[in-house]
Amino acid sequence: MTEPAWVAGVVVIPLVGALIAVLAGRRAAPIAVVTAVGAAVAAAALVRQIARDGVVEHAVGGWAAPLGIALRADGLSALFVAAVAVVGTAAIVYALAHPGTPHRFHAAWLLGWAGLAALAVSADAFNLYVALELLTLAGATLVALASEAAALRAALRYILLALAGSLAYLFGVVLLYAAHATLELSALGAAVTPGPVTAVAIAAMVAGLALKSALFPLHGWLPPAYAGAPAASAVVLAGLLGKASFLVLVRLWFEVVPPSLRPDAGLLLGVLGAAGALWGAVLALRQTRLRRLLAYSSVGQLGYLFLVFPLGTGPALAGAVYLVLAHAAAKAALFMAAGSIERACGSDELGALRGLAPRMPLTFLTIGLAGLTLMGLPPSGGFVAKWLLLGASLETGQWWWAIVLVVGGFLAAAYVFRVLRLAFLPAAGAAAIARAPRGAELPALALALVSLGLGLAAAPPLALLGAGP
Amino acid sequence: MSAWQLYALSGLAWFGVGMWGLFAHAHWVRKILAVNVAGSGLFLVLAALARRATTPAPDPVPHALVLTGIVVGISATALALSVARRLAEVEATARLDEDATHEPAAPPAGADARAGGDAAPPPAGGGAPP
Amino acid sequence: MSAGLAIDAALALVLPVLAWAVVATPDLRKAIVLFMALGLVAALAWARLAAPDIALVEAAIGTGVTGALLMSCVPWAESLTPASRRARADLALAGALAVVACLGWAIRALPEAGPGLTPAVLGALEVSGVEHPVTAVLLNYRSYDTLLEIVVLVAAAIGIDAVLPDDDARRRLAPPARSLVGVLSHLLVPGAVLVAGFLVWKGAHAPGGAFQAGAVLAAGGILLLFARRLRPVPFAARALRGALLAGPLLFLGVAVAPLVRGGRLLELPVAWAGVLILAIETVLVVTIAIVLLMFFPARVLASSRAPAATVEDPP
Repeated sequence: MTEPAWVAGVVVIPLVGALIAVLAGRRAAPIAVVTAVGAAVAAAALVRQIARDGVVEHAVGGWAAPLGIALRADGLSALFVAAVAVVGTAAIVYALAHPGTPHRFHAAWLLGWAGLAALAVSADAFNLYVALELLTLAGATLVALASEAAALRAALRYILLALAGSLAYLFGVVLLYAAHATLELSALGAAVTPGPVTAVAIAAMVAGLALKSALFPLHGWLPPAYAGAPAASAVVLAGLLGKASFLVLVRLWFEVVPPSLRPDAGLLLGVLGAAGALWGAVLALRQTRLRRLLAYSSVGQLGYLFLVFPLGTGPALAGAVYLVLAHAAAKAALFMAAGSIERACGSDELGALRGLAPRMPLTFLTIGLAGLTLMGLPPSGGFVAKWLLLGASLETGQWWWAIVLVVGGFLAAAYVFRVLRLAFLPAAGAAAIARAPRGAELPALALALVSLGLGLAAAPPLALLGAGP
Repeated sequence: MSAWQLYALSGLAWFGVGMWGLFAHAHWVRKILAVNVAGSGLFLVLAALARRATTPAPDPVPHALVLTGIVVGISATALALSVARRLAEVEATARLDEDATHEPAAPPAGADARAGGDAAPPPAGGGAPP
Repeated sequence: MSAGLAIDAALALVLPVLAWAVVATPDLRKAIVLFMALGLVAALAWARLAAPDIALVEAAIGTGVTGALLMSCVPWAESLTPASRRARADLALAGALAVVACLGWAIRALPEAGPGLTPAVLGALEVSGVEHPVTAVLLNYRSYDTLLEIVVLVAAAIGIDAVLPDDDARRRLAPPARSLVGVLSHLLVPGAVLVAGFLVWKGAHAPGGAFQAGAVLAAGGILLLFARRLRPVPFAARALRGALLAGPLLFLGVAVAPLVRGGRLLELPVAWAGVLILAIETVLVVTIAIVLLMFFPARVLASSRAPAATVEDPP
């Protein structure tokens, strides 16, 4: 008896669930719960399989590449799929409890889940394009569910910039296919030789993916999208969908880009990432609304991820991937908390936070715990990630990236403490607040604890990463 | 210059025009139209490169990729236009509400207070709906 | 220079100029008409590049449906608040020129001959279940792309449904218009259904297939919509969602079935490949046609003074 093809299962289960959720219309919620359980089981099985056997390959249709499409799951795929399962399940629980979540959230999010899983296990450059487009449409729908002018504008901007990014990426794919007659990533990596075709194709793909991942200065679309989306949508957008393009970029970088091109291009990406990390943190400090503060914080945290390109493989790659995981849990928890606060106070103005902590202790405990990851303080997962990145920058003699990491951490501490300080001040008046449902507060706290747990038990996930290339 | 190169460079210029339009135009629907122009140009490049096959028929794989790309493109276009249509309705309602609460001479305020700095440009001078 | 190359050179010159006209024309309606003209001229290029499948789909979907969709936006497009305060045309132009120069450099550097995957595609054609190479790629070798692409189409349908205002869930049914379109629809729609069926059947061994057929079917439906003989598609109706999802669900079923026996995702048994591909394509035609029809807004089509014959929400 051979083991089931979990690498296909992690894609197919949310896909079937999404279609049935569409069919169920207003009664999509129970379908979403069942699907989340099934997809989480498949994700856990995939993690176990990869931890035991190493990289898993699956030739879709029985056609080997280059004719067919290859699925390939390594440690990175498994960890990302697991993060999607954990954050995605928590988001569905949150959506059930958070009053006012549109019923269409479930179908849109399950489609996004399928797209993220498809992206994590695909080894085909064109198939990645289709998965990215699925994420664009699911993401835009998640934003547009709010049906307010600001959210609709943000959704439009998101679609157009994502389309521009996809076209740039696709142009690169077209050039590489024309030169090497394959779309399989590792075959492309073996075939590329330095020259105009490779350089231009890689530049187009990297630029497109950087635009889609909101790399500074292409980040303008992100804050209004995260701040305008419904609460449950913002959770999966900031926690997961926002990292999808970065994941593709990592694959491209370490599997296709020839090493001779890496130093210069890597330096450029690193500089832009560092600028984004600082700029995002500074702007987060200047926001007057909680969700915009968190969105700018995401711009900053995404910036750190790009330091992996000048720092190279090994501990830096592990650090960046670890930051993806820790930040996915922490930022999803924070957006859940922000949604609960917005619901309770009728607004997410920072001024409304005054004196709120004693009234919503669980929510502010969540903000405090998840905030540790943003600041990179022990014992959080964010600390492990930044420690690895710091070590890599000192080890490779590129100490300037370490300064960015440290300064960014101080700025993050400033904006997290600003929120907490307001909440613990004595209340100005006895403004009536609605009670946040436990069902909305608990998944947030659970995710905050996950981001903490990633710091306390870092060895197994890091060992899994070693299973990859 | 061979035929495939002619068409590939033609498609490239076509693509470039679309990309220019995407960033040069301020109006949403014009931007969406421009993205479609860029997409079709890229598809011409892809089909032209498929013609480099030494066999009598061109390489079928790029043709299949273009067909997939066209369907993905229309999906995104249709969603974008639907969002734009909804935005037009929301904005029209907001303007009606404004007209009802302010005296007619009041200048139009920012489109939406929630949008914040970089998301809410002031309404265009002209082109107000009836 | 041969006559063929002269035609190629002329086309290669005209296409970007037309594209320029589409983008640069100030009037939106004119720009859309030019966009459709661009699509028609491009059909010649597809023919010259021996790409009949692309010609069919690009004409039906890329030009026809997209053009009609854009046209349906003209009444309100100008009233929208612009995306940005001022257009940065100069900066955009410089950027586009730089991008085109780089990409052109790469295209010029490509080897003159590139067989691509033609030998591999033709080599496996015998066991693919179909004789037409493009259909073999779309529905067998790379059917996973096609599966995800259908899901993209469904995602668009969900998104469109999601941004409809709540009161739009009950659509008004406008009375049939007595117009040229109305008369034409009588003649053309049965033809569209016939052509769609023919294209699916033909796709197995010649250019044609589900997307072409779905687009033709949708074109017939759009005609009926404009003639007010068809209700704008109400997504709230469960029967419609069922018809829409039958195709993707069958496709997924075919995809998953081999996994149960320890096979590969989407692995088609050689003996059944032809039948399965035809079945998938047939149900996909319906999906594609419905989604393409859903793209058309009820609001714009239904006149506000129409009698309110509403479609009920499901309970």
